[in-house]
Amino acid sequence: MRWLGRLFQKEKSEKQLDAELRFHLDQQIKDYIAAGMNPEEARRRAKLAFGGLEPIKEDCREARRANFLETLLQDMRHGMRMLRNNPGFTAAAAVTLALGIGANTAIFSIVNAAILRPLPYKDSSRIVMVNSHTAMFPTFSLGISWPDVQQIRSQASSLEQTAAYTGADKTLTGKGDPALLEVTNVSDGFFEELGANSQLGRFFTEQDYVLGQNHVVIISNALWHNRFGADPLILGKTLVLDKENYTVVGVAAREFTFPEKCEAWLPLALAPEVANTHTYFALSFLGKLRNGQKIEKLKNELDTIAKRTMKDVPELSAGYSFSAEPLLENRIEGTKRAYFMLLGAAALVLLIACANLASLLLARGSGRQREMAVRAALGASRGRLLRQGLVESCLLALLGGGAGIFLAAEGVQLFRAIAPANTPRLAEMSVDSTLLWFSLVTSLVAGVLFGLVPARRASRMDPNEALKTGSGMNLGAARSARQSRLGDALVAVEVALAFVLIVGSALMTQTVSRLLHQNPGFRTDHLLTFDLPQPVIWNTEEAAREIKKQTERFKNIVEQVQRVPGVAAVTASDHGVLIGMQMMEANLRVDGAIPSTSKVERTASARYIFPLYFRTLGISMLRGREFTERDSGDAPTVAIVNESMAREYWGTLDVVGKRISVSNDKAGKPLWDEIVGVVADAREVTIRGRAFPAYFLPSLQGGTGSIHLLVRTQTDPDSLAGAITRQIWASYPEQPVTHISTMARRISESVGDERLRSILLVVFAGIGFALALVGVYGVISYSVARRVQEIGIRMALGASREGVLRMVLRQGLLPVIAGVVFGAMAAVGLTRVVASQFYGVQPTDPATFIGAALLVLLVACLACGIPARRATRVDPLVALRYE
Amino acid sequence: MGMPEEKADLLKGTLDMLILKVAALGPIHGYAISQRMQQISKDFFQVQQGSLYPALHRLEERGWLAAEWKETDTGREAKFYTLTRKGRKQLDTEMLNWERLSDAIALILRTAE
Repeated sequence: MRWLGRLFQKEKSEKQLDAELRFHLDQQIKDYIAAGMNPEEARRRAKLAFGGLEPIKEDCREARRANFLETLLQDMRHGMRMLRNNPGFTAAAAVTLALGIGANTAIFSIVNAAILRPLPYKDSSRIVMVNSHTAMFPTFSLGISWPDVQQIRSQASSLEQTAAYTGADKTLTGKGDPALLEVTNVSDGFFEELGANSQLGRFFTEQDYVLGQNHVVIISNALWHNRFGADPLILGKTLVLDKENYTVVGVAAREFTFPEKCEAWLPLALAPEVANTHTYFALSFLGKLRNGQKIEKLKNELDTIAKRTMKDVPELSAGYSFSAEPLLENRIEGTKRAYFMLLGAAALVLLIACANLASLLLARGSGRQREMAVRAALGASRGRLLRQGLVESCLLALLGGGAGIFLAAEGVQLFRAIAPANTPRLAEMSVDSTLLWFSLVTSLVAGVLFGLVPARRASRMDPNEALKTGSGMNLGAARSARQSRLGDALVAVEVALAFVLIVGSALMTQTVSRLLHQNPGFRTDHLLTFDLPQPVIWNTEEAAREIKKQTERFKNIVEQVQRVPGVAAVTASDHGVLIGMQMMEANLRVDGAIPSTSKVERTASARYIFPLYFRTLGISMLRGREFTERDSGDAPTVAIVNESMAREYWGTLDVVGKRISVSNDKAGKPLWDEIVGVVADAREVTIRGRAFPAYFLPSLQGGTGSIHLLVRTQTDPDSLAGAITRQIWASYPEQPVTHISTMARRISESVGDERLRSILLVVFAGIGFALALVGVYGVISYSVARRVQEIGIRMALGASREGVLRMVLRQGLLPVIAGVVFGAMAAVGLTRVVASQFYGVQPTDPATFIGAALLVLLVACLACGIPARRATRVDPLVALRYE
Repeated sequence: MGMPEEKADLLKGTLDMLILKVAALGPIHGYAISQRMQQISKDFFQVQQGSLYPALHRLEERGWLAAEWKETDTGREAKFYTLTRKGRKQLDTEMLNWERLSDAIALILRTAE
């Protein structure tokens, strides 16, 4: 740190320098006088001998100035000047770095927030989620029943804290329009385990969990702000949820939400008949492992508990088991692979950017050898040249890195804007400071690495040699051949990487397009859909009565909506169409079924529907009839099956008159429903994959819970949404109307993830390809410039313009072709790894590969064409004089 | 500089070594160094201040010489230079090199006679 001190002591050191030199002068004079000169003469002689004071001072300063900071500043000034003097190179290199670093920082930030960063709960890495599994639905994770919660609580010694919860949306009334709130019923220990803090009031106490005294609620900070204007006097006020009064006892702190988007928490107080039912798989279970405890220990304990439970509870079939996984795993399940694909794409862009930068600096380094040689000849030391090169590329790196960080911040914002709203942990996404430092350091390292190679080369060179070769363009043939080979290799690498990205993005884009244009088997246009949520009823006695009332109400609503002008047809189902939800009945029995052809236990999905469902959706009846108003109440119970179900269970479409059963009477005998119709297959669960076997039961004969209205309109469905909602509220002012959307939009939203991925991949592929083209262009321009004399000689000797053009193009396109070949090989390997992300298109789709190859070659031709044309315009006379 | 051209090259490499050698005898200020060198070389080296002081500063910068301000016998403040341990090592190396070089030159001159 000597230089730092001296920087502040500049004045002092100036004084000392002056004093030192004056001392010398005075001594000299003194000596002269002592030798017998008169003072006047002595002073004159001494000054003469000494020479000018100022030049000596300057030399002394210079001698000391071998210090780091000052030369660094000098180098930086020089570097800035060089960068300013070559705006083309500077822009290309800075943009390359900015894109590479920007894309990577953005994606790393997103991935970090989405799948790497711990969840924002106390000791979240130790929180695990436990699910149960039955032999009936081996592929599904079921919730946990209350008796099992108790068992695990008391017997799993590896857990230090436990809690159970279950979501139940509830309608909030008495505060503006009726709204559906995301409500969670939570057991004791819930807030403690997650380490929640409250903004106001308290969490639940033991008293609150007593059935009958459980009408208290804690609201989320967001709800408190949005619905209650952050009312500081909210505690003690009453909230009407599903027509029942709840007293607000607390407001959660801003940072706490669990599950994501939950708006209110109620104490979990189960009715005794539910609390004692082992097959009531409705609770989610959170456990916190003891510090240092492995999840394997918990799994072993769970196995023991499951075996004991199976023995004690006969209605649980064999194959009953529990599974446990970390909460984070559970939260990000399914999105992990997609994020890693994006991470891979971003890494490819970074590699391309690096290759590009290397080739740019390589070309430039060679172009500047003459300058370096001159500086070396003028006395600049090797180290100085080296350092100057480094300083210059570090400046460039910082410039690019700075722009990259800006791009990253914008990129994360963009991602949040275009990502589907249900993307996990979306709100947590931001460029984080660790990554900022990381990318700054990365860009500096890139600067050092890429500055070092050309700078070393330049500093090693013999100035005599370089100056003798004159133009500095015709360095020794061997060296220039080696350099152009290195340049070609870099181009090939860039093209190969870009090719992989192009193929990936093309496959993803096709996936989205296939999904969007997938025919679901029904008419998706002019179809308005929305939900009419209903309170969940725990008590089975009450449920039977309530369902009857609901059914009447729905019938009424359907009739009301029918009257809205512009509505062509109205129907309803018990759950949404194309929302990825599938209902299964545990007790499906099929009369006269043929043996199953596959080992996997066959299942069929259930749907309760209103009359005219198939006609409204445009699904054709293959046999028999649709449900009518008469299939209600005490009329004989009926069912309709789809084509897949008929073939799966009976091997024929002629199944009208056969029977299925999903419930028993009081004596335990099956209640049979007679099949009255067979419909064509349609994808009603999800747009992906094939249609599932499905059967339909009339809502009017015992549908349950909420309903999902489907309205076929004559005009633009969006324009009718308001009128329909008003019509419903006119008769039922407390009925919330939610999830209003058109079927087309619903389909489009259902491919949101794929669309997001395809947009990002297209962006990455675009960036990668653009960078690769800059690389191709740069290398060819450089080589043309270097070969001006050679081309001039060739033309003077009679080479035609076409010949020269061909020569340059061939030279430029060879590495491109090599790149495409290697890229294709890499793409075949890589796309297979991520094949699960694609739909309706082969990961090795030949058309995609050929198309991508043609695109790359064509555009590369253009990129080579510009410098190649420049080469053909070379005037032999000028070229030969070129010096 | 006042010296004939053919001596310049020789001096360029040797001035540092001579300064280090003189400074090795103990703390000494710039003027004394120039006097001492002139005396010892029997006036062969007329060290110019224009070369001496930048060299002193350079050697100090490299850490071969250490400097401190002290009073001279006459009571005036002057900058005294001392050889550091690093400087001692450097001096040894340079002297070794120099001896080898001069031996070799002497050998050639003798043998070629």
